[in-house]
Amino acid sequence: MTKNFAIFPLIILLTIVSLPIAVMYGFLILDTFTDAPPGELWPDRFTLAHWRFLWDPSVVGNVWKAAGNSLILAVSIIVIVVPISSLAGYAVSRLNLPFRRFFLAGIMVMHAFPAVTLLIGVFFVLKFTGLYNTMIGVILVKGSLMLPFGIWIMKGFYDAVPWEIEMAGVQDGASRLTVFRRLILPQVKPGLVALSVFAFLDGWGEYLLPRILAPGSDMEVLSVFLNELVQADQLGYDFNLFKSVGVFYTLPVIILFVLFQNRLMNIFGGGTKG
Amino acid sequence: MSSSADLNTGVARKSRRSDRRRPRISGLGLALLAPALFLLTLFFFAPVVLTGIFAFTDLSTSTGIGRGQYVVTPNLLRQLGDQGLTEDDATAIASVSITIDEAGIARATEGGVDPDFLSEIADRFAGESFDDPRAFSRELRGLPNAPRRPRELTQTAEYFETSVLNTRFDNPEALTAQLADVAPDVSSDTIAWIVDRSYTGARFTTANFERLATQKETLRLIGNTALYVAATLGLFNVGLGLFLAIVLFYTPKPVTSFYSTLWLLPRITPLVLYAIMWKWFTWEDGFLPIVAEQFGLPSFNYMKGSVVTAWMTMISLNGFIGASFGLILFSGALRAIPMQQLWASEVDGANRWQQVRRIILPQMRWPILFVTSYQTLSLLSSYEQIWLTTNGGPGRTTTVWALEAFTTALSNYTGNLQYGLGAAMALVLVVVGLVLSIIYLRLFKFGELVSRPKIEL
Repeated sequence: MTKNFAIFPLIILLTIVSLPIAVMYGFLILDTFTDAPPGELWPDRFTLAHWRFLWDPSVVGNVWKAAGNSLILAVSIIVIVVPISSLAGYAVSRLNLPFRRFFLAGIMVMHAFPAVTLLIGVFFVLKFTGLYNTMIGVILVKGSLMLPFGIWIMKGFYDAVPWEIEMAGVQDGASRLTVFRRLILPQVKPGLVALSVFAFLDGWGEYLLPRILAPGSDMEVLSVFLNELVQADQLGYDFNLFKSVGVFYTLPVIILFVLFQNRLMNIFGGGTKG
Repeated sequence: MSSSADLNTGVARKSRRSDRRRPRISGLGLALLAPALFLLTLFFFAPVVLTGIFAFTDLSTSTGIGRGQYVVTPNLLRQLGDQGLTEDDATAIASVSITIDEAGIARATEGGVDPDFLSEIADRFAGESFDDPRAFSRELRGLPNAPRRPRELTQTAEYFETSVLNTRFDNPEALTAQLADVAPDVSSDTIAWIVDRSYTGARFTTANFERLATQKETLRLIGNTALYVAATLGLFNVGLGLFLAIVLFYTPKPVTSFYSTLWLLPRITPLVLYAIMWKWFTWEDGFLPIVAEQFGLPSFNYMKGSVVTAWMTMISLNGFIGASFGLILFSGALRAIPMQQLWASEVDGANRWQQVRRIILPQMRWPILFVTSYQTLSLLSSYEQIWLTTNGGPGRTTTVWALEAFTTALSNYTGNLQYGLGAAMALVLVVVGLVLSIIYLRLFKFGELVSRPKIEL
């Protein structure tokens, strides 16, 4: 960037604006390893006691089981979203369909449309189909609500593939399906990876759907587990413990994010969170 | 897109020719699309339709989901009495009749009455009926095997009593027949009225919308929602997002990437943990109250302690998530500005403020419009963050429309979930959401995004 202007005042301004976030995340990490005297902020001793929940179920219950359930939920959502989106994305990107324009407009509207407002309607659908209070219902709902986003992202990736590749395949006598499978899918691998990571993160972080649509399910996911922990503890909130469990919960998110940062940044630009 | 197609003459011409004719429909395309269509129909389209239908019902926990039944309860008779049901009719309907039949014997056997006594009853009184329970009890006492204790005798007698009251009927005809049987003097119009009112299931009504249109609460909800959306959007999603994007545009690369990552954290942090962090930040014994105390400022639970601080907390905790959306989008748009314009302005002696004001901001019009429109919709409908933090409190001062719809229908402490009213409130959001998304699609040149597929084979 241009070097003609002073940078220093800007950095000061930036730091002041960012202070709340820096404080929150700084203390989030700090508090999991330290203890502070009551009523004070700065810790005075190092401790690993807040991490005892990892091996001692008497602290908060079985956190590994909840993590396993979250993993199942997140992976199941990938299994629904990625294959279906990549098939449908290819269809709307390359193939001639009746009402194609209408369907694309529908996908766009559904993508822009805030899906949380449908929760009450989804609740009825689950009640009528008998999927209420089951994890399968939650997975289907979450996966379906992500589909417009997934189809739209995949369509973008297919659109970027040069159609000469397909043309060459078709000229050589391959069927349209073979062309798709052997030539096109390898071209959109980055899209498949990005969508998988995104679906995983979305499923891992999901709280509302399991909490509302499967309140009595045996499969308590980590997000619900963590919030129950906070709500159950009526006297003397042990924020250091909550934060430790929270960091444990967020670790996979951070790891995936560090690994796939550049690919995700593009997708987050079109993200759906408030 | 289309220009590249023109270069590849052969196929492009062929495809254009086939455009002019009726394009061939790809069966493969339909097959690939089918699973997506199925799920979208089930979990997108059906919920919209169901929201629309149930918005016009009084469905709630007490009516239950599914088919209702027809029951006349003492409570209902009392209510109807207030609305003009005569005393005589009420008494006639509530009256008890005694019939000795198979069903009564079966009930008594199940209740553990002495079988010998029962067979005597069956022999002696089969098919008879009594109007007065006391007369029946007297008759029973005369039987050889009758129990000694009067209590047992009365209990036995009760098994043969039939009353319309509290009996559940699956269809209105059965109840009408029964009522006509029990109370032949009551006019058929009155019976029809009672049967209609005795339905326990949900019924179609516009009462939800009348209530929304007339209650004072609605205005406050709309006011809260407008304030929440406008303040979060103006101060954070657009305001702070634009500010950060422009400042980070000028800073050296390491600083830029550090602060971009920092501001992305609220977006990638799972919501439950994010809510916990804000609780720690604002609750008593948390960060802000402790700091405030050291400076001698009022120190209390800022999230729930006062209306003003609750609003500030709610707006900033949503805004910190939203700011990164603006930051990412505006940064992309800033990078697209040709550098030469900025260099030229510096050569001409523009200071930074002039550069921002005259060169950068005018080119940010479309990104600002996009962020505003996209985030309006998402803020209008978002309640998860509010639910996990202030939960509309203190009192109901920070309740927004979407949160109210959600708590009415799916999550409240009293346990009486008003699905119908909640669906009506959600329907308003669904309609607003649909209209806004369609407007945005027009605004942001949808046509270019859906140009025809390139190969038609």
